[in-house]
Amino acid sequence: MLPRYLIAAVTAGLVSTSVAQAQDTYVAGVEASFPPWAYVEEGEFKGIAIDAMRAIAEDQGLDVEFRDMPWPSLVPALAQGRIDLLVTGLNVTPERAEVLDFSIPWWENDDEILVASDSGKNMIDVLCCGATIGAQGGATQYQWLEENLVNRDGVDVTLRGYEDYVVAIEDMLTGRTDAVVTSTDTAEEFISNGRPVTIVGTIQQNQPQALAVQKGDPNELLASLNRGILNIYASGQWEEIVHEYSPQASIRAIPTAMPGYVDSYQEPIPGYSE
Amino acid sequence: MIVEIIINHIPYLLDGLWVAIQLLVCLLAIGFVFGLLLALAEVYGHWTLRASGMAFERVFRGIPELVLILMCFYGVGNWYPIEPFPAAVLALGLRSTAYQSQIFRGVIQAVPKGQIAAARAIGMSGVQAVRYVVLPQALRQVPGPWSNEFSSELKATSLAYVIGVVELTRQGRYIISSTQGNILIVFAVVALMYFVVNWLGNRVLYRAERALEIPGLERRESD
Repeated sequence: MLPRYLIAAVTAGLVSTSVAQAQDTYVAGVEASFPPWAYVEEGEFKGIAIDAMRAIAEDQGLDVEFRDMPWPSLVPALAQGRIDLLVTGLNVTPERAEVLDFSIPWWENDDEILVASDSGKNMIDVLCCGATIGAQGGATQYQWLEENLVNRDGVDVTLRGYEDYVVAIEDMLTGRTDAVVTSTDTAEEFISNGRPVTIVGTIQQNQPQALAVQKGDPNELLASLNRGILNIYASGQWEEIVHEYSPQASIRAIPTAMPGYVDSYQEPIPGYSE
Repeated sequence: MIVEIIINHIPYLLDGLWVAIQLLVCLLAIGFVFGLLLALAEVYGHWTLRASGMAFERVFRGIPELVLILMCFYGVGNWYPIEPFPAAVLALGLRSTAYQSQIFRGVIQAVPKGQIAAARAIGMSGVQAVRYVVLPQALRQVPGPWSNEFSSELKATSLAYVIGVVELTRQGRYIISSTQGNILIVFAVVALMYFVVNWLGNRVLYRAERALEIPGLERRESD
């Protein structure tokens, strides 16, 4: 007679294979060095975007597996179909809207100007007149600084790009840059982790954030994602997840502002308009 | 506090190290097999084989590892959905093939040509001469120069994270980003892990070198 645990294991194995065969597994690309949105702690994917994606997947009966890739690789990997969706604190921008389709936006962010706490600098000191500013290369903050400060006559700032914000902050603390400009969530994360940095100013951006899928949505994921986002928002699960990682954050009404340049925000929006 | 965090993360760093070692073993194996074939082609082959072998070697020794990895993942990915790990093995394996072919070419050419002539004179075929006379003498010289290749490829595995292989360096970055700092101490631990593997591997290779040497000849040192 077979031991009971063995039977149980075999049955569980059969059940899980049949479930796996019944539906495709979608690969969600994440950049796991972006707390509080997506990161890895003790071998586990964590963060607002990760937990929310898990909740959406459960709500919509999707099978999603996470794959970590460095930030500069994520958008090309999605554009090429190497991953099926992008799950992180992803800002909606016109450039990205050309190569990706966005879900309805679930968050809005501003940018914060961070300086070393002991530097005594104010926002004018660090955004003008020979100052050096750090930001993540390719991030919306980097582009904003480039367009509005670097390329403008008479401002005279130097912009440095970093692979991620941890390194950018570290470089500022050693005195190589005067300030770092990052999103509100990231700035608060640094402060709550006890890094000696201070916010000296906020750049009001009302920057929407969303999930993204391949352009044209070949896997028809948008409808499920949008429905899932609305469901977890309505059930209060979204608020719980956000506050687990970011207790002070105020919850925005979903969807937040939907910029007109995004194709997937033209009516009818799958999973939302109907 | 950070010490505690690092201790808690040691199993994940070891996971990453294990991925790095698997990557290393696979790429060195590819490099060993194809490097030897390439060297034989370059030394004994028809001129077309020699020329194409040399072209391959020049190209793959002349491109940065990082570019090769990205090309394998995204370039090959255009035709075939290659996963990150095999893409990294392929890219680094081809590069190692090019480097190892030079190690093999060197040791084969270090065997005096007269020995082939002598082997032919006693009735061996060309293939037999290479198989039974040249290679046994040549291959026992390999561990010395090969330890260089081993060390350099172990370090190259750290580049595979750019296409999503979660190896040791990436696991280290996870700790840095989840704690939002501690760059120096985390990378010091990561560096120590690479160093230990490198050191152990080199010890094994020195042992092998000693075991393979012919007594009285080719002594590495006079102890």
